[in-house]
Amino acid sequence: MSTARSTQSTRSSKLGQTLLYAGLAAWLLLAASPVLWTVVISLRSYGDAFSAPLKWVAPLTFENYRGLWVEREFHRNFFNTLVVTVSVVTISLTVGCLAGYALSRYRGSLGFWLLIIALVFRALPHSTLLPSFHALFDALGIRNTLGALVFVLVAINQPFTIWMLRSFFVGIPQELDEAAMVDGCTRLQAFRRVIIPVMWPGVVTTGLFSFLLAYNDFMLSSALTNADKMTMPAAIAGAISAESDALLMQGVAGAVSITIPLIILIAIFQKQIVSGLTQGAVKG
Amino acid sequence: MKLRSFLGFSLPSAALMLLLLALPMVMTAWLSTRNCALDLQLATVVQTGPFGASEVTTQRARLDAAGRPVEMCRFVGTDYYRKLLGLDAQANAPGSDQNEFFGALRFTLLYVAATTPFVLAGGLALALAMNRVTQRLKGLFIAASLLPFIITPVVGALSIKWMFRDNGLVPHLLSGMGIELFWMAQAWSAQLLVVLYGVWHTLPFAFIVFYAGLQGVPQDSLESATLDGANAWQKLRYVTLPHLAPLVVFVTLIHLMDAYRVFEPVIVLTQGAFTTSVQVLTYQVLLLEDNPYKASAAAVLTIVGIGVLLIPLLRKTWREQRRGY
Repeated sequence: MSTARSTQSTRSSKLGQTLLYAGLAAWLLLAASPVLWTVVISLRSYGDAFSAPLKWVAPLTFENYRGLWVEREFHRNFFNTLVVTVSVVTISLTVGCLAGYALSRYRGSLGFWLLIIALVFRALPHSTLLPSFHALFDALGIRNTLGALVFVLVAINQPFTIWMLRSFFVGIPQELDEAAMVDGCTRLQAFRRVIIPVMWPGVVTTGLFSFLLAYNDFMLSSALTNADKMTMPAAIAGAISAESDALLMQGVAGAVSITIPLIILIAIFQKQIVSGLTQGAVKG
Repeated sequence: MKLRSFLGFSLPSAALMLLLLALPMVMTAWLSTRNCALDLQLATVVQTGPFGASEVTTQRARLDAAGRPVEMCRFVGTDYYRKLLGLDAQANAPGSDQNEFFGALRFTLLYVAATTPFVLAGGLALALAMNRVTQRLKGLFIAASLLPFIITPVVGALSIKWMFRDNGLVPHLLSGMGIELFWMAQAWSAQLLVVLYGVWHTLPFAFIVFYAGLQGVPQDSLESATLDGANAWQKLRYVTLPHLAPLVVFVTLIHLMDAYRVFEPVIVLTQGAFTTSVQVLTYQVLLLEDNPYKASAAAVLTIVGIGVLLIPLLRKTWREQRRGY
């Protein structure tokens, strides 16, 4: 390669580098700006948050957060969300690990059918279940209870959970539990003593996605609970059409309050989230 | 593993899905052919006032022995389906909603078709760009990119709404360029916002999957292509893209399933006023019209729709899994 050509290609690659970083910076701005702007206006009064002309700088106030957490007692909704997400993750993983393990070890056609049915349920729009849930839960007298919501979310989560956990268990060599069974363990003992200790990476990743499903759910939570049983996303539904200034601004503060735990989650578990997203793609 | 232990291990999971997914689906189909109403009957009530007693005839619900109102249920066949599909002569009277379901389905499919190309192309462009960034910045870029995907959808849609609201950030920036638009005041711009939300929310998923796929592109193929004189575009077209093709299919299918379910942005950004999606239709008929029977019919139509859309995916998985057994 001649010297002239190599300087030319350095110059063009320098331009390419600049364009590359400009493009990525533009994406970062687009990705983050709705969230960042919501944080900014959550710390303003209504008049400063939506003013004409727009104010880039305005006095800070924590009034919206005070109104939300103290007056509207948002801690109740936070507590409901906490109960629901912890229960959903625990039950989903317990039930899902058993089934996922069985699916990774069983060779018969029943396993194949379970996976196919799970895939069909994975595609099911959740709103289609709501009329029956209303009728069933009214008949049983458990409408508007956190317990009913937990079991609904666990069931909706199962198809994804067992597919994902199965793909993790397939990666654990069969020889491991077979050796334990040759040594006299039952299947359940082999699962407890040999598989459980090595399955944690898969369980953590699957658990993260169970958590996100339960934490982010709006449709089922808002249709199955009301008043003091509402989770955080259901509770800020009032802000969707709020025209009262105080209610709207409390919704803005609520949006930020809901997002903060998620940002912490990304900071801690970024690697697991990325591996979970690519898991299905790579292993099928 | 023996059949017995397989059944034991998978029983709790299968039972949950049976009770809370399969059974409600069957029940929905059953509910959609019925209608229940309070059993109203004429009753003569004697009202005793300060000026003597008078007899008034009113309608009231018949009560059972325990004092609860009695509901009369009857089989109505395909009444609600015909109403939802606009096949009912009465429903075509002026002023009534016509073709509620087709309206919802049309927007749902429009949303699927409008978001998919941007999600795929944007995700691919971002993945290719990220592949050339220094290692130190990658963590930050990926973390920030995850945010729109991880964020609670109703919160994400609200954030976008507040940015595009009157006196919000975007109308302000646009008015600087001479564009005055009230985004949520008419159907087309509100629908555009829903699509924008969809791309913003899903693009990171496509990006992460494609980026992971790029790490697996065989380096020696790329090098031999360079030696053979291929330029950057040719290497992308003939080496990288064929390697990513299965991932493109995967992302498209997952996005198809999720986009058909579009719910939160429609509720938040259009308030269901100009636009419904199939999920929003069921939800609103159930909760606003308070008619679980008509909602069930909408739900059954929704399931039929996703079934038709997903036949190719099911056939593909079927063949692949069959091979594994």
